[in-house]
Amino acid sequence: MSKRKRPEKDQPGLVDSEHAILNAIKARKDNGIWVRDIKLETKLTDHVVTKSIKSLLAKNLIKEVVNIQNKGKKHYMATEFKPSKEMTGGDWYVDGNLDKELINVLKQLCMRFMRAQKVATLEGVHTDLKKNRVVTFEISSQQVAEILNSMVLDNDIIEVKSTGLGDYHSIPIGATCYRIASGIAARGLRVGAFASIPCGACPRISICAPVGVISPSTCVYYTKWLDIDF
Amino acid sequence: MVTPHGIQLAAYLISSSYGDLCSKVCECLLRRGTLTLAHVIRYTELTRENVINCLRVLIHQNCVQAFAIQQEGAYGVAPRIVTQYMPLFDNIIHKLRAPKFMQIVSEELGNDCLEIFQALIQHGRLSINQIIDRNKQTADSSNVDVVRESFNKLLNSRFVERCPAPEPFLPPPSEDEPTTKKRGAKSKIAEVPKTTEQLALSAAAPMESMRFLMEMDDHSEERIEESSNSTTPGVKRKRDDLTSEEDMLDVNEKKEVLWRVNFEEFVRRLRHKACISYVKSRINDEAGIVLSAVLELNKFSETRQKAENSGYLSINAIYDEVIKKDGGLGMDFERVRLSLEQLGCQTIENGIDESYSIDLKGIIEMAQNEEVESVIMKRYGREAYRIFRLLSKTGRVLETDKISDTAFVEKNDTLKILFKLWKDNYLHMEKVGVGKLTFLMWRINKEPLSVHVLDEMYHAVLNLRLRITHEQDQGKEILSFPREKLVGELGKKYKLLGKVRVILESSLMNLDEAIMLFHDF
Repeated sequence: MSKRKRPEKDQPGLVDSEHAILNAIKARKDNGIWVRDIKLETKLTDHVVTKSIKSLLAKNLIKEVVNIQNKGKKHYMATEFKPSKEMTGGDWYVDGNLDKELINVLKQLCMRFMRAQKVATLEGVHTDLKKNRVVTFEISSQQVAEILNSMVLDNDIIEVKSTGLGDYHSIPIGATCYRIASGIAARGLRVGAFASIPCGACPRISICAPVGVISPSTCVYYTKWLDIDF
Repeated sequence: MVTPHGIQLAAYLISSSYGDLCSKVCECLLRRGTLTLAHVIRYTELTRENVINCLRVLIHQNCVQAFAIQQEGAYGVAPRIVTQYMPLFDNIIHKLRAPKFMQIVSEELGNDCLEIFQALIQHGRLSINQIIDRNKQTADSSNVDVVRESFNKLLNSRFVERCPAPEPFLPPPSEDEPTTKKRGAKSKIAEVPKTTEQLALSAAAPMESMRFLMEMDDHSEERIEESSNSTTPGVKRKRDDLTSEEDMLDVNEKKEVLWRVNFEEFVRRLRHKACISYVKSRINDEAGIVLSAVLELNKFSETRQKAENSGYLSINAIYDEVIKKDGGLGMDFERVRLSLEQLGCQTIENGIDESYSIDLKGIIEMAQNEEVESVIMKRYGREAYRIFRLLSKTGRVLETDKISDTAFVEKNDTLKILFKLWKDNYLHMEKVGVGKLTFLMWRINKEPLSVHVLDEMYHAVLNLRLRITHEQDQGKEILSFPREKLVGELGKKYKLLGKVRVILESSLMNLDEAIMLFHDF
């Protein structure tokens, strides 16, 4: 946001209290301001503040915005500003909620491309997404990187350095690229030895004792586990 | 790493094999560290005779090591020699793994060797004559030569070793040296001065050249035993009122060479197996073959008990070993090189020769991470899994919002998950105040985390063992019936009982592998 001039002297048709409140709101620029802070800054009474805000909203000089940090608190911002990244939560947020659907679709698209290519660089994936016009908005390289990174965290793909051999022949040696996890990992997450028995998944393990309320001989998880397998 | 549940498990194992009294003595030693006889008697409130008997059993089963130190007397009183008893936690837990060890022996050396090995597992320590005697009693056609031969095979494979000295004497530290910390066996600080316990263990261990050496001449055996016993020539032992106690506990009275199972060798083999199977599942079979070849070449240069980097091996040597392996015949240099690179090897190239070193520690660490991540996934769900992996990969502190953004988890959910993980000791949290604002920073502390996971796993092993006992108790009635009566409903129940047992036992063995991954490898 470019730096703006201080508000013009007289907005036509505004009373003093509205002026004061509008100035307070504008001073916060794209970060917005909480109603309580308006009251504190302008030292006006609740009644006046509420009334003035209503009037300013009606005149389309300010707007109400959702702050991701605190969805319950009402925040206001001057109409000419766009909410900052800190307020909205970033590109992946819509109305203060994480756009999981979009993320999942993008993940699937990346996965499909990776399956076909086996190995791909960030640029490769980005170009493919742009070329096929699968997304309606302009997707940035940074966004693709974020998607790929989360897929790495999901253990769907792994980040590797190109060796320049075999599958990597088209990628310069040493360049960071991504490939689909091979071996057993490709067929889904390997369940560890501890995680495959009830104790590994047990939320109550810390209070379990041989002669306690929760004990291995009376454990319901065990009973269920041993029954299921037949 | 002796953790609370580890102690409970150890006490349970001792109690189920050698009774409650032994278990009490053992638990006392594990909880309080190295103690003298008098202290053990005071803390356990058992009679002197009972405690001595228990210690004898435990020493014989390689669960306790005795050693003598010189203790400063009060003013005007001459210093005296006292005997200390230290628990050997690892050896106690190894009792759990006996079936695994026996399987290795039987697969590699066959039944004759297995019989001897089984006897050693059961009795803790035996001399060759005792082994021969025992074999005469059990086997119908016993041949002394066959027994000796089998024993030599075990020795050559390093499955058995000479027992350590029964009670080495530790000379007091010299004046200029900083005094070593007493009772610090469990201290995690890897300081250069060793703890008393470590010194005692190394003093008790037989010389490396003698460890796997079989002397046919009994006379010379005696001499060797003598020399390895008195590790500090010149220091005259003062045996006053403690003489009787020492004599009673002296298991080597007859000065015959005693042998025991060499757990180190088994741990090493299991470690290799675990590494290879991890690499196979993570990369591919070829990488597994290459790794097993490298480990084979590196076998004799491995001296430390824990995993470390392999020495530098030339590509030619690796290739020669690879083609000997199953499925390795078809591999060429290029593919061996590719696998080595996938294994994350360090390379040295000087002129014509290129050498590789494999980072075994790194492989073990990855396998450990996978085990923990899998628990996180099961217990806290996919989003927690992603968050945990993010923190584990970055390896430094991250702020809540940053975590939420990178892992694609709603801000509020992120905080909830992070708190849950923190409450269960999986994460470390720091509050950082900047002006009025406070930020929560999160980090994974590797060391305490693996101790925590290990403790939970010991807990789970104990639970499995208890459940096995419980199921057996439940099925006692059915098991008491003769086989032919087990038809219809009863037969079904009998089968079910068997299945339950198989599931529990196999889970136990798998879980034990995970424990070794964290504790022994």
